[in-house]
Amino acid sequence: MKPTIRILIAVAALFPATHLLATTFQPNNRIVRQLTIEPGGSVWIDNPFGSIDVIGGEGTVISVTADRSIVASDAVALKEAADAVAIAFDGDSKVRLIRTVMPALRNAHATIDYTIRVPKNVAVKIGSKSADHIRVSHITGSVTVNGFAGTVIMEDVSGASALNVVNGRVIYDYQQNPIAKADVQAVNADIDVYVPASAKFEWLADTINGDILTTFPIHGGRFAGTIFRGQVNGPGGPTINTATMMGRVLLLAKGSNPGQASSMRLNPPQHRPTPGDVMLAPAVKVQLPFHNGDWPFVASIADIAIGEIRGNAHIRIGAGEVELGAVFGQCTVTLMGGPLNLGDITGLLSAHTGAGDILVRAARMGGEVSTDGGLLRVLYTGGPMTLRSGGGDIIVGQTSGAIDAQTTSGDITITGDPRQRTLKVGARTTQGNVNLIVSPRFGADIDATIVTSDPDVNEMHIDFTGLTVRREQAGAKTRIHATGKINGGGERVELYAAEGDIHISAQAIAPVRLANPRR
Amino acid sequence: MSECGVMSENMPMLLTESLDPVQRERTHQHIESCAACASEWSAMKETWQILETLPTVEVPARVKKRFLAEISAASAVPANVVPFRRRSAARWLAEAAAVVIVGGSAFYAGHRTTPNVDPRSTPAEITSYSIAESRVLPAASISPTIEGRPDIQNVQFTDASPSNPQIGVSFDITSHVTVTGKPADKSMVRLLRYVLENEDKMSPSRSRAIDWVRATYSRVDNPDPEITEALANVLRNDEHQGVRIKAADTLQSMQSAMTDGTRDALVEALKNDPNPAVRVKAVEALAKLARSGAVLDPDMLDTLRKKAAQGDENVYVRVKAAEALSSIQPR
Repeated sequence: MKPTIRILIAVAALFPATHLLATTFQPNNRIVRQLTIEPGGSVWIDNPFGSIDVIGGEGTVISVTADRSIVASDAVALKEAADAVAIAFDGDSKVRLIRTVMPALRNAHATIDYTIRVPKNVAVKIGSKSADHIRVSHITGSVTVNGFAGTVIMEDVSGASALNVVNGRVIYDYQQNPIAKADVQAVNADIDVYVPASAKFEWLADTINGDILTTFPIHGGRFAGTIFRGQVNGPGGPTINTATMMGRVLLLAKGSNPGQASSMRLNPPQHRPTPGDVMLAPAVKVQLPFHNGDWPFVASIADIAIGEIRGNAHIRIGAGEVELGAVFGQCTVTLMGGPLNLGDITGLLSAHTGAGDILVRAARMGGEVSTDGGLLRVLYTGGPMTLRSGGGDIIVGQTSGAIDAQTTSGDITITGDPRQRTLKVGARTTQGNVNLIVSPRFGADIDATIVTSDPDVNEMHIDFTGLTVRREQAGAKTRIHATGKINGGGERVELYAAEGDIHISAQAIAPVRLANPRR
Repeated sequence: MSECGVMSENMPMLLTESLDPVQRERTHQHIESCAACASEWSAMKETWQILETLPTVEVPARVKKRFLAEISAASAVPANVVPFRRRSAARWLAEAAAVVIVGGSAFYAGHRTTPNVDPRSTPAEITSYSIAESRVLPAASISPTIEGRPDIQNVQFTDASPSNPQIGVSFDITSHVTVTGKPADKSMVRLLRYVLENEDKMSPSRSRAIDWVRATYSRVDNPDPEITEALANVLRNDEHQGVRIKAADTLQSMQSAMTDGTRDALVEALKNDPNPAVRVKAVEALAKLARSGAVLDPDMLDTLRKKAAQGDENVYVRVKAAEALSSIQPR
């Protein structure tokens, strides 16, 4: 029998017993229990709601004190909650499991605060959803904490430790020089680590939104992406890994002034600049009605909303949302991820995002716009534009310049300026339709191709006469190819749609009129 | 007889949409899974389309009137019921054959006996029957149950104005039909769901259908969950990345109609969709859900937690996942 199956059977057998063993709080709200444990044993504490204090000491006895609080909307709900919320003590002298039994409560909320005294050499494992604090102190064994929200305090923990926290704060307070590995993975929590000034260890720190600060002199510090690695007081010693995505990391030498901590992100020691350094810049939010002059801007995470930039804009951001009402000069925006909303761009436009939609209201001189995945819409362009989407529709509301549009999956719709008798257009989608809408007098040399596995579904719809349409079979696919001149010919229009239709529609189109920018 | 043989016999009736719903579904499924039958079906459809291009033979009004009088009694249908099925194949074929035989004979005889008579010179005898019939039906008068897989084409959407609660969906089936009603009408919801979930029945594109659904239902206070479920199915199954992006984006704007199924679809998209924009929309929708105080199940929390920590994920997706987690109060 596989070990997993054996464990499942054992768990199933123990489950009813757990309820029989569950200890209720009535008539009062405190439980005190003592359990024996062997040296080097494990204590598992599973308490979804409530604080946990684990204090290491001498001896072979675990002493548990649990205080329960219930808030209920009425007396009935209070009684129901009081009957339901209990503690289960499982395991044996090698492994002790202390578990809060808390079914879903109706109109009530319960918390249990634990104070647990354990022999200092035991391994401690804690699971929690929400706690005011989880404090583990004076433990020489290993410690594992898996929590969602709350402050986690590790005080004089000399064994290996691993913390996984989502929200809240993490505080490590080393009474002695660290001798075992510590690993903290957080999402939105700040991390503070206090270490004796003489401690020697390797420090890893990672954050994309906060800062990395220390009062220690760091040797050989370097960044790999957003991950900082450095040696404290020279090579050797254990590794302390402090990673929080949105929080900040602070490593303090005991007795030093936190105000004197220096930023590793802003002043990376011996750092060679790389294109990914944008993630080392601080995170900011910018909201301005206008900015006079050029606006160079770099940030790791930033949401930007600016009415007008009366100059050139040069923006580099790791992640965020960018909204620019008008840019009077050239506009260059590069995002690693996030949506782009650009208004009236007077100069040349160059915009890219690693993920997200892009909307450009007017690119008067055209330019280049691309997204690795997302919808791309340009309402008007007065100049030639190159448009690329890694997956998503491309829509050009009206163009007076040449268009070169490509998407790996999505429809492409391009409407020509009716004032232009001809336009150079290239549109290519490897999965989707191509729609070209032009005025009835539009002239061009057309080269349109559909490659499809279902020629009954995918067709050419061309409102103009004079084209020759051929069908060829290429393996399992059919190639429908239309070529020729419309209205006497003109610029080259090259359209390609795989598994989609091609429409060339002749319509009466109202020309776009742009307002003059207020300078 | 082999299954292919049975299906082959069903194809003419499938072409005229006169199979019963169960047989129709079965035949469609077989065609989709059998290359030989798919090829035969394709050829048959092509032949059918070519037939449409043959010249029409004008039938003398006297003959047409008598013929229509005979069939009108048999084809009477309750006024308030509009099935999505065509007339039976036998009847349809018999009618078509009768029209061709009678019309052809009349044409031949007419040309032999009265060579200079223009049939259009007798307008008073032309009946009001129109082959290209166009009907407008209130949603309340049609059954919300759509039987079989009716082949609808040229789907268009109408929405008069924000002040007018009426919306409309037009399409070609046996005739051009427009169903009008309020966005909350069950029949309208079912029809839109059918439109969204059957790309091969859609013309010109599902992408536009989703745009329209978003524009219409973002104004509705409590959109029917069937609409969000249809969008969730699009998000799960559509091959077109542009369409999936729009489906996720539209789901984000219809939070009040989210079901467990739609949430699961968003979580699945966040976990596995190869297009980063789909993952962006999915995580934004989940973040919005979290901010609204909705209870997220452990799988959602786990997915958000993993996404926030996933080093090779797009940084914007990670940030949004972290933002979603920051607004969650564990319960």
